[in-house]
Amino acid sequence: MEARITTAMSTGEILEVLRRAEGYYLCNNERDVSQSDFKNRLMPMTTVRVAPYREAAGFFSIEVSGGASVHVDLMRKQVNPFERLRIARRAMPNTLLQAVCRGASLFGYRHYPDNVIRSTVREFAKYVNVWRVYDFLNHVPNMIPVFEEVQKTGQILMPSICFSTGKEHTDDYYVEKVKEVLDVTGPDVIISIKNHSGLGTPKRISSLVEAIHKSCPDIILHYHGCNTDGNDIGRMIAAVTAGVKICDVADHGLGAVYGQAPALTLIQTLEDYGKKAVGVDVEALVKASDVLRNERRIYEPFENVFRGHDPTVASYKLTGGAAGSTFEQADKGGFLDRMPEILDEMSRVQVELGNWWSVTPGSQILWTTAVNNVLYGRYERPSLDLKNLILGRYGPLPFYDPQEWICKKVLEYQRADGKKWHQVLAEEGGLVKPRDVDLDREREELEKKFSRPVSTEDLVLYLLYPFDGISFLKFEAQYGKTWLLPPEVWFRHGGFENGERVTFQDENGKPHSIEIISTRREGATVIISLMVDHAFHTQSVTLEG
Amino acid sequence: MEQQLMFEKILVANRGEIAVRIMRSAQELDIKTVAIYEETDKDAFHITQGEEAICVGPGPRKDYLNIDGIIEAARKTGAQAIHPGYGFLAENPDFSKACTDAGLVFIGPPPEVISNLGSKVIARQIAIDAGIPVIPATDNLSSEGQGEEEALAFAAENGYPIMIKAVSGGGGRGIRRVEDKKGLLDGIKRSRSEAMMSFGNDAVYLEKCIRRPQHVEVQILADHQGNVVHLGTRNCSIQRRHQKLIEMAPAGLKKEFADRLCTSAVKVTKAANYLSAGTVEFLVGAEGEFYFLEVNTRIQVEHTVTEMVTGIDLVREQLLIALGEPISFTQQQVVERGYAIELRINAEDPKNNFLASPGKIQVYQGPGGHGVRLDGAIYQGYEIPRYYDSMLVKLTVYGYTWQEAVDRLARALKGFVILGVKTTIPYFQQILHEPDFIQMKFDTSYIDTHPHLVEYLEEEREMEKIARLIAEISAYGFNPHAQ
Repeated sequence: MEARITTAMSTGEILEVLRRAEGYYLCNNERDVSQSDFKNRLMPMTTVRVAPYREAAGFFSIEVSGGASVHVDLMRKQVNPFERLRIARRAMPNTLLQAVCRGASLFGYRHYPDNVIRSTVREFAKYVNVWRVYDFLNHVPNMIPVFEEVQKTGQILMPSICFSTGKEHTDDYYVEKVKEVLDVTGPDVIISIKNHSGLGTPKRISSLVEAIHKSCPDIILHYHGCNTDGNDIGRMIAAVTAGVKICDVADHGLGAVYGQAPALTLIQTLEDYGKKAVGVDVEALVKASDVLRNERRIYEPFENVFRGHDPTVASYKLTGGAAGSTFEQADKGGFLDRMPEILDEMSRVQVELGNWWSVTPGSQILWTTAVNNVLYGRYERPSLDLKNLILGRYGPLPFYDPQEWICKKVLEYQRADGKKWHQVLAEEGGLVKPRDVDLDREREELEKKFSRPVSTEDLVLYLLYPFDGISFLKFEAQYGKTWLLPPEVWFRHGGFENGERVTFQDENGKPHSIEIISTRREGATVIISLMVDHAFHTQSVTLEG
Repeated sequence: MEQQLMFEKILVANRGEIAVRIMRSAQELDIKTVAIYEETDKDAFHITQGEEAICVGPGPRKDYLNIDGIIEAARKTGAQAIHPGYGFLAENPDFSKACTDAGLVFIGPPPEVISNLGSKVIARQIAIDAGIPVIPATDNLSSEGQGEEEALAFAAENGYPIMIKAVSGGGGRGIRRVEDKKGLLDGIKRSRSEAMMSFGNDAVYLEKCIRRPQHVEVQILADHQGNVVHLGTRNCSIQRRHQKLIEMAPAGLKKEFADRLCTSAVKVTKAANYLSAGTVEFLVGAEGEFYFLEVNTRIQVEHTVTEMVTGIDLVREQLLIALGEPISFTQQQVVERGYAIELRINAEDPKNNFLASPGKIQVYQGPGGHGVRLDGAIYQGYEIPRYYDSMLVKLTVYGYTWQEAVDRLARALKGFVILGVKTTIPYFQQILHEPDFIQMKFDTSYIDTHPHLVEYLEEEREMEKIARLIAEISAYGFNPHAQ
């Protein structure tokens, strides 16, 4: 049975189609491309502009949410993450929407209370059809609340096994992890091989897929890889020929580097291997990239400072999704020129701290540790997150513990009580599960703050990001749905000329226009006259800073 | 036989929507119109609607109330008649008399009629003599201690609550409800003091309070030939502090009962030797009893609902009557069809105790379409002066059924775009979705018994919010929220 998968099908039907498929399916990972190569700045209207072609292209799913995108939506784009999902759903009604979730850390950096996790998943699952769930330590218990809630909603659960390289990362280890997951979830899931840093050779991936299938022959496998080293096409060919049914890809129009490899390259290559991309319309795929080539110019200021593949990632292992933010930090911090040193240090730190997976929030811990080590001396300024990691607050380290000298430096850092590291570890170590919050009380507080009833979506945003959630809700009340504006207006530099007109459509398809009539400056106040939908307005803006 | 016109030009001694309304009917009769204005009102819309305009003084308000000044304005402009509209001098018998004395036609009742009906005590006696039930009440209370004794005796006979009313009051002013002896004695003192300040006359009387009544009124026309016709009922029960908020026609009474009210209204009008357009007001009790309340000797704000259901132009009839013409139709020709509802869109903040919200109308767009009538006097860019009433526009809708009228009203309210000031629109939108209103279950306590109606969210239009961001990008040269 070779059929395109659509939202009209039940989870059971979809899994059945995948199990029987001779060919393979594609997931367009817009979210990871945006995060890895454009600092998560792709705006919803870009998604809308390309949506007709992506919808026609016949993807298994499009990942439009999760990871760091949820926080960046609120912080940098003033887009409601739920609104973003609704926009995508309206624009692509037949295509499954996908999100990546960091287990107990959800879309954040630290573990959330159990009831916050469950409420969040319930709200997002109203729109997210496919849940790619991982834990950076592959600690399955950290993922269980998300697994349970996703399965309750009837959406597709895609538990992920984070992949890396090194002597500990054997096929046997991963096979056992898959079994551990399946023991919790049952067989009606899709297991994802999460190769977020783009590691390993095609041969290595082929071996892994075969090992998993040998042990669990009926399991559906998905492959997610970053193309940092430029070789993810090779790994995907190996994965699909070994039996993987879904691969994460990018539009070639976005020309991703740290994100996913181009869909069309994979399709053209695998054809030669006798493998067909099921349901994919190549013409639509090409048209989508034609649109995106134009869109890409809007986001040029957000592209990474390092452009081009980096095969040395095999050593420092940083996830593609963290590339944008880390390089940005280095640039803003004035130590971009020390990047080769820092990446070398990152390779060392990776091994010293346990050779686990460099993905959020672990990637941030490794990165911060490497930077601090280079700038201030090795482990001289350990972060709180590194301390929590060594204390086991995120879960047990999978392979080995850091050497004693590291534990000593980290755990005894700035301790006024003079306690030794092993004492600290004994007294404070272990996974700490945050206590449930009183959701009714939190809602009441929020309602008091805004003097209006708040939706569960608003509450969830607030619980996930108390500060940025509030800031966003205030922005939304004052400025409305600014995502309706063309992205080139949102990122506008240089203001507007008098007589310039901004046109856009609202959610109901009604056209609107705002024309700038005049701009007059009086001290720190700027008075702007506008024609808003053909009616004259004046606005005065007091410049700050 | 063709009637000789007694006037070809009228001066409209008013402002705002009613001035525009009067001018429209006059212009349809090819009568020229003169607008008056105070300096403080020089941007008012009505000024642009008359063929001529004349400033009557610096204002505010006092020159619209200056009888001599207005008579002089009529003389200067050659107007031969004056229409007073409502409010200001409309029910001042001295104004009617001054017009007559100056050889001008006063488009309204003669001074003695205004005077008699303006006195609640005389008006009440006229009703009693005509056999119309009246609310048990005292005569004007005597002064000082004797007045208190009279009040206590009345309370002993009729019980509480009791209404204290100023003899010269109107429009909801000078009325106080008291629940007990202490409230009664204190209230009399306060009412006297307020009445003296407001009306220059401290006379008050007491009236039995009818609990949760409906406020029903009958529109009347009377001509020089002695014809009196009624144009059916209106229900004005939805009031806030005795100020009407929503009015509708017909009143929603059973036909036989409505006929009794209308017949009573005609009787009172005839007994008062009435002339021109007027309104006879009644209170209708929960048990179906009714009481004469008063006669308003003017065209009323809510006259539009009667016009919508009867198709009759009341101001045109006023003008024709003033010209000596008989009423254009007979009682039998008056037919009420469907329902009409009128709302006053005021520049007020319902959430802030309906406090006036003066300011500049940044954007104004009104609704239209079948069964929607707007009587307004605002325009985009108009700075609402703080000296006058806060009414922006009157919305009247017609529906073949009550539900159709309610639905149309909701649709029409949605069609308004008024930016720059707070308005009563969101409050009315709440009422239109309130079950008691939809089922026509209301009396004069409606607003007090539905306090939750002010609990609405003030939603700014999406485009205004987005325009704010465009302005910021323009001012900064970049988007300060996209960094």
